[in-house]
Amino acid sequence: MKLVGIVGTNATRSTNRQLLQYMQQHFAKQATIEIAEISGLPAFDEPEDRTAPAAVQALSDQIAAADGVIFATPEYDHSIPAVLKSAIEWLSYTTRPLISKPVMIVGASNGSLGTSRAQAHLRQILEAPELKALVMPNVEYLLGHSLQAFDAAGNLKDATKAAELADDFTAFMAFVDLTAKITSANKFVEKNQQFSWSQVADGRDL
Amino acid sequence: MKFIGIVGTNAKKSYNRQLLTFMQQHFAAKAEIEILELANVPMFDESDDQSESPVIQEFVQKIDAADGVIIATPEHNHSIPSALKSIIEWLSFKLHPLDGKPVMIVGASYSVQGSSRAQLHLRQVLDAPGVNASVMPGSEFLLGRAQTAFDAQGQLKSAGTIDFLDSCFAKFMKFTNLVTALAAPTAVKYQPGTYDVTATGHNGALPMSVTLSDDRIESIKIDTSSETKGIADVAFKRIPQEIIDGQTLAVDAISGASVTSNGVINGVAQAVKQAGANPDELKKRRQTVTAPQASVTDITTDVVVVGAGGAGLTAAAKVLQAGRNVLVLEKFPAVGGNTVRAGGPMNAADPDWQHQFDAIPGEKHTLKEITEIDEATIDQDYLPDFRALKGQIQAYLTENEDQRGYLFDSILLHRIQTYLGGKRTDLNGNKIYGQYDLVKVLTDHALESVKWLEKIGVDFDKSQVTMPVGAIWRRGHKPMGDLGFAYIQALQPFVTKHGGRLMTETTVKELTTTDGKVDGLIAEGPKHEKVVVHAKAVILASGGFAANTKMLQKYNTYWTSIDDDIQTTNSPAMTGDGIRLGTSVGADLVGMGFSQMMPVSDPDTGELFSGLQVPPQNYVMVNQAGKRFVNEYGSRDELTQAAIDNGSLFYLIADDAIKATAYNTSQAKIDQQVAAGTLFRADTLTDLAQQLNMDPAVLTKTVNDYNSYVDAGEDPEFHKNAFDLKVAVAPFYATPRKPATHHTMGGLKIDTGAHVLNTDGAAIDGLYAAGEVAGGIHAGNRLGGNSLADIFTFGRIAAGSALQDELTVTEF
Ligand SMILES: Cc1cc2nc3c(=O)[nH]c(=O)nc-3n(C[C@H](O)[C@H](O)[C@H](O)COP(=O)(O)OP(=O)(O)OC[C@H]3O[C@@H](n4cnc5c(N)ncnc54)[C@H](O)[C@@H]3O)c2cc1C
Ligand SMILES: Cc1cc2nc3c(=O)[nH]c(=O)nc-3n(C[C@H](O)[C@H](O)[C@H](O)COP(=O)(O)O)c2cc1C
Repeated sequence: MKLVGIVGTNATRSTNRQLLQYMQQHFAKQATIEIAEISGLPAFDEPEDRTAPAAVQALSDQIAAADGVIFATPEYDHSIPAVLKSAIEWLSYTTRPLISKPVMIVGASNGSLGTSRAQAHLRQILEAPELKALVMPNVEYLLGHSLQAFDAAGNLKDATKAAELADDFTAFMAFVDLTAKITSANKFVEKNQQFSWSQVADGRDL
Repeated sequence: MKFIGIVGTNAKKSYNRQLLTFMQQHFAAKAEIEILELANVPMFDESDDQSESPVIQEFVQKIDAADGVIIATPEHNHSIPSALKSIIEWLSFKLHPLDGKPVMIVGASYSVQGSSRAQLHLRQVLDAPGVNASVMPGSEFLLGRAQTAFDAQGQLKSAGTIDFLDSCFAKFMKFTNLVTALAAPTAVKYQPGTYDVTATGHNGALPMSVTLSDDRIESIKIDTSSETKGIADVAFKRIPQEIIDGQTLAVDAISGASVTSNGVINGVAQAVKQAGANPDELKKRRQTVTAPQASVTDITTDVVVVGAGGAGLTAAAKVLQAGRNVLVLEKFPAVGGNTVRAGGPMNAADPDWQHQFDAIPGEKHTLKEITEIDEATIDQDYLPDFRALKGQIQAYLTENEDQRGYLFDSILLHRIQTYLGGKRTDLNGNKIYGQYDLVKVLTDHALESVKWLEKIGVDFDKSQVTMPVGAIWRRGHKPMGDLGFAYIQALQPFVTKHGGRLMTETTVKELTTTDGKVDGLIAEGPKHEKVVVHAKAVILASGGFAANTKMLQKYNTYWTSIDDDIQTTNSPAMTGDGIRLGTSVGADLVGMGFSQMMPVSDPDTGELFSGLQVPPQNYVMVNQAGKRFVNEYGSRDELTQAAIDNGSLFYLIADDAIKATAYNTSQAKIDQQVAAGTLFRADTLTDLAQQLNMDPAVLTKTVNDYNSYVDAGEDPEFHKNAFDLKVAVAPFYATPRKPATHHTMGGLKIDTGAHVLNTDGAAIDGLYAAGEVAGGIHAGNRLGGNSLADIFTFGRIAAGSALQDELTVTEF
């Protein structure tokens, strides 16, 4: 199985990047996880021609070629970072590679709640009609106090948090398999790559 | 009443902008609404703080001055646009202008529910502790079907909609009055007394004693002995002063000493708590953000110096000695730059003094090796000196054939060692070595610099001759007292006592020129005020760029890669400002691709003394797979490149006996680091390997092999030059290490008079450079102790040239 793990921040030091690196290493036998960075993407600015800049296209192609996507998001001010929101806006506005893509959300933050609010926002965002990702239900992996969570070798110090992540990841792999069966059979899968709210406004409301 | 309206998108066409513009006109009689746009706001980036940039400052100052803020948000993907999120992140990071500000949310969008989901998210975001805005509850103004809502004049068409907006706005004005009344400071009461607390500083415990009266913080006393002299001092002076003056805990940490600053703030908070008050109340008492001072300070002086490190203060002292005026501008609150971090000893050949000391084993061998170097490998310009040195060495070796002999040294040995030590080839095959004329000046005049410093007031310890780490030879003159700080401690008072003017927290931004001559500069003071300086000469002494990773990466031609998150041993001020200033007036650069790394640094902080930092003979370095990968006795750059080739992160393996040889630590520190996961400890090598994700069999074999080499006195694998202890006694330790940036050899091209040269090789009129900002001397690798020799020598020379060229002073 091939997955893309998106680092939800542009910070040079990020515990969310560490979390994805940990997953990449520890789940290597079960899946290949490519880590994708978003720090090189331009800031979203609604270009009139709706074409994706090269860096966005590259990320989009990477997502399109994967069986599923893992978002690792920090929490900035009770929501996802602007830079992650910008990446998602690009995808929703140009190539829409997340349509029917299975998605797992994980998050590390230094607060005690560990990104619970940011994850709830991200879930709502990814389910918006211009994205239509299939976010895995029932699973919320929150890593609180993340600056203390890893040892210098990059391991999760807390064994229960490590076991929880392994369980969630196994569930996600099953979810990816399951959605692959459903979506291939589903003839109503969104084909429109040029969704726009102005079209919606003239017709039905969502 | 005055409000700021923020258009929540950077799109060129926006109904939210239209809505705000409508409100601005419609409510003009009731309140002034100034509209701010997001188009120029950079994407928030924690690693690239731009809080001080003009764009962010505009938001901060205008919001601060306003009674409230109106945010008009579209809805993108069921949430707020990234552009709006980005400005809020900036306004919740270092600066918090929205804290307690009344905020009204409005939104326009295509669909019928307007922007309901985005508004809900925005409420949650504005409620986050870093933002802490006071958002008006209820009264959701959602403008659905925005594309049909306005007429051609930009007026809202529906009278019902306007009525609702009127009522929301009236409520917001009331709400604003209410919030403002609530925000009036509350009185804080203390149980009077003196409270002894222990805060955490940079180097460990920071005992403090805080005296509180009924309603005031009266005094703050701190035991400063364990913190680093020269770095922490300003924090000890300024933070308590600001806390007492403002009776507040909302004071900003001092750049370069933030850990100490926060330690002091936390210590006072502890005392306040013990006295029965809530420190959060004091943290809320923010001093109002000072608007940029429109005032311009205009100063005319003979010589202006950029940077108050070793080179800058030396140049300033020299100008004063000639009876001329000098102004020194320093970006940081504390003077001293990297010079206060230096180990202390400066290199200068002083044979008369060195001859009093006996030679030590190995030194004769080193000298003999020099005489055996193939002359074909010596560059032409150094060949005559090399031959003369060979003659000196042969005479010395003959003289001392049957005896131990004294410590040999000569200016020529210093020169040739500087040359050989700096000779490197980069990844593109370009060879570099120290420019002969500059190295000659350095080695000819270093001893004079020692003597000059003595006159200024630096005491040297004549009883020992030291070899600074990475110096190759024992010719270090070590000042008494606190390492590099000892120089600054003498130079700074000399400069101020003799009428030199020193302005700290003043960053030089631009050089000014008239007809190609540099005749002054423009700087920015602590309150963003402009400082304009007119001078006959400008001396750049602003240090290197080892704390500017992007710049290092841009120029690097030596290392196969430099990680984005690489740490530094330097002061954060070392961002290459002087190099940018120089090139802005046409200066040429030399050797920019060569930088020096400290291979054995803490991966998180860049510091040397964390974990178990032991003498190199006890280093056992293993990579992330548990294998040795290098001769641990190699030079700094050999160790660094080997580390980079092995993924940068590596470990120093130690056992209980090696632990005892570690510098600057204690059992308590060790236990604390093990608990924090920054140092690994285990009773068996297998267990240690598991903690490090290594194959236990690999690590065990590595250690067994190493131990057998210690027994045999020879390392057939990597040819380590010297061993001491084996890794045998439990518990075993692993200290994570990574290279950190340490020194930048490249910089502005100068001549022997420290004139900055342009790309045609001609001196730029009025511009001089000294210290790490200049290049050409240390080439591919700087010897330990040579930088101090360089800054004091070329600092004097730069001042001398400026005096001679521009001020017709010839005697100094
Ligand atoms: C940890 C450490 C240990 C070291 N040990 C040794 C040693 O043992 N021996 C040795 O020879 N060398 C050593 N070095 C190197 C040596 O300390 C430095 O190369 C040397 O001090 C540089 O001196 P300088 O005067 O050129 O710059 P600095 O002393 O760094 O001073 C430059 C000053 O300019 C200021 N500045 C920068 N930009 C601006 C601006 N735009 N406007 C106004 N001011 C500005 C800075 O804030 C700083 O105060 C060490 C370096 C480090 C970091
Ligand atoms: C602007 C900003 C806002 C933040 N807001 C929150 C927050 O609301 N909740 C939280 O738990 N942490 C918050 N944090 C702290 C982050 O949790 C912390 O920086 C964490 O390390 C981010 O994850 P990362 O390590 O992947 O960058 C904020 C940090 C920044 C820079």
